[in-house]
Amino acid sequence: MNAETKSTDAFEPKIVAFVCNWCTYLGADLAGTNRLEYPANIRILRLPCTGRVDFNLIVKAFEIGADAVLVSGCHPGDCHYTAGNFHARRRWDLFRELLDTVGIDLNRVYFSWISAAEGAKFQKLVTEIVDKTREMGPYEDYKKLVAES
Amino acid sequence: MAKIGVFTCWCGENIARNVDVDKVSEAIAKLPGVGCSMNYKYMCSEPGQSLIATKIRELGLTGVVVASCSPHMHLKTFRKTCELAGINPYLIEMANIREQCSWVHSDKEVATAKAIELIGMAVEKVRRNHALQPIRVPVTKRALVIGAGVAGIQAALDVASGGVEVVLVEREPSVGGKMAGLSETFPTLDCSQCILTPRMVEVGQHPNIKLMTYSEVEKVDGYVGNFKVTIRQKARYVDIAKCTGCGSCWNACPKKNKIPNSFDYNLGNRGAIYIPFPQAVPARPTIDPDNCMRLQSMKNGKELCGICAKKCQTNAINFHDEEKFVEVEVGAIIVATGYQLYSIKKEQENPRIKGYAEYGYGKYPDVVDSLQFERIISASGPTGGEPKRPSDGKTPKSVVFIQCVGSRDNAKGITYCSKICCMYTAKHTMLFKHKVHDGTASVFYMDIRSGGKMYDEFVRRAIEQDGAKYYRGRVSKIEQVMVDGERKYRCYGADTLKGTPVVVDADMVVLAGAIMPSSGVTQLAQKLSVGYNEYGFLSESHPKLRPVETNAAGVFVCGACQGPKDIPETVAQASAAAGKALIMLSQPELTREPEIATIDEKLCAACGACVKACPYQAISIEEIRDRKGNFIKKTSRVNPGLCMGCGTCVAVCPSKSADLIGFTDDQVYAQIESLADVF
Amino acid sequence: METELRNAIRKLLEEKTVDVAIGYGRVGVNGAVGATFVTNPDDVDRLVWNNECRQNLATHLTRAEIKKLGKPAIVVKACDARAVVVLCNEAQIKREDVYVIGVVCDGIETADAAGNKTGALMGKCLSCVEHAAKNVDLLIGDEAAAKALDEKNAPNAKSVGHYEKLAKLRAMSQKERFEYWREQFSKCIRCHACRQNCPLCYCNRCVADKNRPTRIDTSSSLKGNFAWNILRAFHLAGRCVGCGACAAACPAGIELDLLNLTLANAAEDQFGYVSGKELGELPLIGTYSPTDKEEFIR
Ligand code: SF4
Ligand code: SF4
Ligand code: FES
Repeated sequence: MNAETKSTDAFEPKIVAFVCNWCTYLGADLAGTNRLEYPANIRILRLPCTGRVDFNLIVKAFEIGADAVLVSGCHPGDCHYTAGNFHARRRWDLFRELLDTVGIDLNRVYFSWISAAEGAKFQKLVTEIVDKTREMGPYEDYKKLVAES
Repeated sequence: MAKIGVFTCWCGENIARNVDVDKVSEAIAKLPGVGCSMNYKYMCSEPGQSLIATKIRELGLTGVVVASCSPHMHLKTFRKTCELAGINPYLIEMANIREQCSWVHSDKEVATAKAIELIGMAVEKVRRNHALQPIRVPVTKRALVIGAGVAGIQAALDVASGGVEVVLVEREPSVGGKMAGLSETFPTLDCSQCILTPRMVEVGQHPNIKLMTYSEVEKVDGYVGNFKVTIRQKARYVDIAKCTGCGSCWNACPKKNKIPNSFDYNLGNRGAIYIPFPQAVPARPTIDPDNCMRLQSMKNGKELCGICAKKCQTNAINFHDEEKFVEVEVGAIIVATGYQLYSIKKEQENPRIKGYAEYGYGKYPDVVDSLQFERIISASGPTGGEPKRPSDGKTPKSVVFIQCVGSRDNAKGITYCSKICCMYTAKHTMLFKHKVHDGTASVFYMDIRSGGKMYDEFVRRAIEQDGAKYYRGRVSKIEQVMVDGERKYRCYGADTLKGTPVVVDADMVVLAGAIMPSSGVTQLAQKLSVGYNEYGFLSESHPKLRPVETNAAGVFVCGACQGPKDIPETVAQASAAAGKALIMLSQPELTREPEIATIDEKLCAACGACVKACPYQAISIEEIRDRKGNFIKKTSRVNPGLCMGCGTCVAVCPSKSADLIGFTDDQVYAQIESLADVF
Repeated sequence: METELRNAIRKLLEEKTVDVAIGYGRVGVNGAVGATFVTNPDDVDRLVWNNECRQNLATHLTRAEIKKLGKPAIVVKACDARAVVVLCNEAQIKREDVYVIGVVCDGIETADAAGNKTGALMGKCLSCVEHAAKNVDLLIGDEAAAKALDEKNAPNAKSVGHYEKLAKLRAMSQKERFEYWREQFSKCIRCHACRQNCPLCYCNRCVADKNRPTRIDTSSSLKGNFAWNILRAFHLAGRCVGCGACAAACPAGIELDLLNLTLANAAEDQFGYVSGKELGELPLIGTYSPTDKEEFIR
């Protein structure tokens, strides 16, 4: 873990994204096809559906040093599996409450619906997340926790 | 030991321009378990693929990562490559360094670093991939068609002519559906029965079709290729195998012509033993237990009447008949349950939808809906095709037609267009004018929607040749008035094009009510796990690319149960559904993607969380028993024929006894952890 | 009440309605109250009922060694009774396979480190609005008195006891909260007593004990402790009945139930969902409504 050795001006936010295969992944592909440039700080993990995204994956991402996490899938009603995102939405809502009580920074956990046609939305959101995270700085709280473990 | 081959593609300049592919290959070569790391101009090209294949064979690779474009582009291609080279096609992963890297990041150094990380993630994943075999599911070569209106008839005949057995279930005593009750059809004005009855007869006689009328689907078990459907045959009190359809019974029934016939929307009458209309298929009667004196008297231990049984030469009448449950095994199901008209009265089944109290439907006998009007002008209808109004049997001289009754009316709760009313209203005006030459047909409409071959021409003909009067505007209310001792219905309307009110004293009013799915369709949809919208129209799997499939594998839809549509569209869709079903049933077995959920049965607590969450009802709780049959424990179990691989069960399982093959926790956590070193 | 309880259980055992009664007794060396299992009608005098009956006995319903004893009767407070309902709803037990004896409870006292009662009521009891157990086969105690207590607590139920603590916590800044838990979780030794005492932690193997992959650190580490406590709480989202057994069992004195309360509160506020209220109720997680809120989704 080299968070401490890096100086803050050289800070490059590390973003982990869990996206569904059928909408957001294709949205990201479309951003590519249309050459919509965005910061390179995001690492996308392709999962079949947001229904597959277990909350513990988000915790894990912070453990390995992510500064922010994005979970994104199809708009309600568009899930390839009809309801995976509805299930996910309810879990996220509750999970955010828990994170909030625990004192995890909710500005570092993003949820979105991005369809296969929304390449521009993907570009915009990623840019925004990276900018905002850059402004907030590294997620020191969690990094310290890890360093002390 | 893992020996993974990593093949980085330049994609011509597409990747190589922004990603230093040599640097990538070099960095990746250092990762543990990577047996070869190379790059090439076009990995998907023939030489690119053979490069991969050669390396697989030469080095005995245990896994392959192709770092190139999106897996949506070429995963299938490279899976084939692997398979041809002799390793399992599921031992390959792709790293998307084009769409999600070189195309979106212009700083070459940054993009190169990111590409290395993306490939590193793929390497960690593929290390944990397993060889998978496609799932094979046997197929029962038989189809069930639910509903025998024109859609069901067409679908059944097409499937049957394709050489596959069909079970055709219809809840009414006869096939034919709504179309059997129509008069002439637009835009050709050929008679509905003339087109339909031959097909009805064919359905009744086709060697591959098992017709089950007066029957409903009770229960559906199983899954694609292997459904077990329980059908409830209602008590008909007539053994249709013995009956010859001679008619002695229904002609002798003392209740003959005394009971409103629902086939005629209660405008005509029938007996207690009846066939709904002369061309019914099967041409066998049914006893209506609520009106049969014998069946009613039996409740009190008496045996009144029974004349029909006495008249019957073949002993076909059985007053002790009971409903029967029949189980059929089918591989595919086609739903063709059709529509009903929105009930125009004030009280509605669906509380979201409001009625039209202001039109007096149900209160004024001469305010009818368009299906009733079809019967009134149909040659086979209760008036023999003479336009007579229900209240006094007089020929109406002035008829007002109101379109969009319910449809496109947010205030009434229905937002959609019912699609066929513009056309059939134009037809109604023509048929009326052809019969009552000095009559006036006035139409109140919102817009005329007449897209379709010869459709606009048809509406023009109604207006220009047959002189129907069209007013663009709504009718706000209808009052019954007496004019010169004649009962009239005063329609207060508007002509918004002229900006003037229009008041018409009509002898009769015809309301073009909105099209709604048939009653009971949502219950049926639940049995089939098919989705439906807020109005109950069944959901197709994809509006453009999978218009007759549903999200329940092996269940297809056609006709108005999926959305309002006219006869040509219905028939086309029915044939499409039949085609899709035939494609499925023509295979010796079904193959499905192996990337589905599995349960660790030893550890599953059988809490049922996954069972409730699965969008496809693919999981059930089962018992594990030892060889002697002693109960050991309960567990949930995934039906590979149903699971679509969404992974929702994995996320809800507290003990992670559920996992998703192809996206296992093992793989996903490894992917995340591969980033730990670089983060 | 105690006598009434003993008599009822004696009768059940004598008449062989049940094979074993799971109740409270003085079991510790210092007379501490804990679970007691009675199979012989002559032993019912070992059973007690008082304001030290802290444990949620429903935990024992899913234990294999108890199941072997035959059909149980179980003594439950209202909060414990809700756990029995959840166990039924999650198919861990069949309702007809257990005889549930509810007791009217007017509050349980907290214990100090030595296990002596402090005179103060447990946080959950301060905000309790269900003093008489529901969904039971037999209720012992004065129902009217229970109702009066319910009514007395109702107006302030959401602002006293644990709710008060949670409100204070939520009023802190996010950083302060994090620091608070950081300190708390640094005390966690991963003994998993919380899990052991939770009536709803019945998994055959807890994810926290699984490797391949190791989803969370299996032994005590600060990051692992965070992950564990988040995971434990979230696995009880929409399930926790608020009996407080976890916090009561924690040797480090971590107020784990505040995490559970967060979720229970959200479940009630946002979905009108109260865990263990009704038999046959569907789970909160694993079902959805197309109109669930989503303002937080971009
Ligand atoms: S992966 Fe999805 S479809 Fe398959 S069993 Fe799990 S929840 Fe059902
Ligand atoms: S959620 Fe997990 S433990 Fe519960 S039944 Fe499903 S697989 Fe088994
Ligand atoms: S497939 Fe995209 S959210 Fe389910």
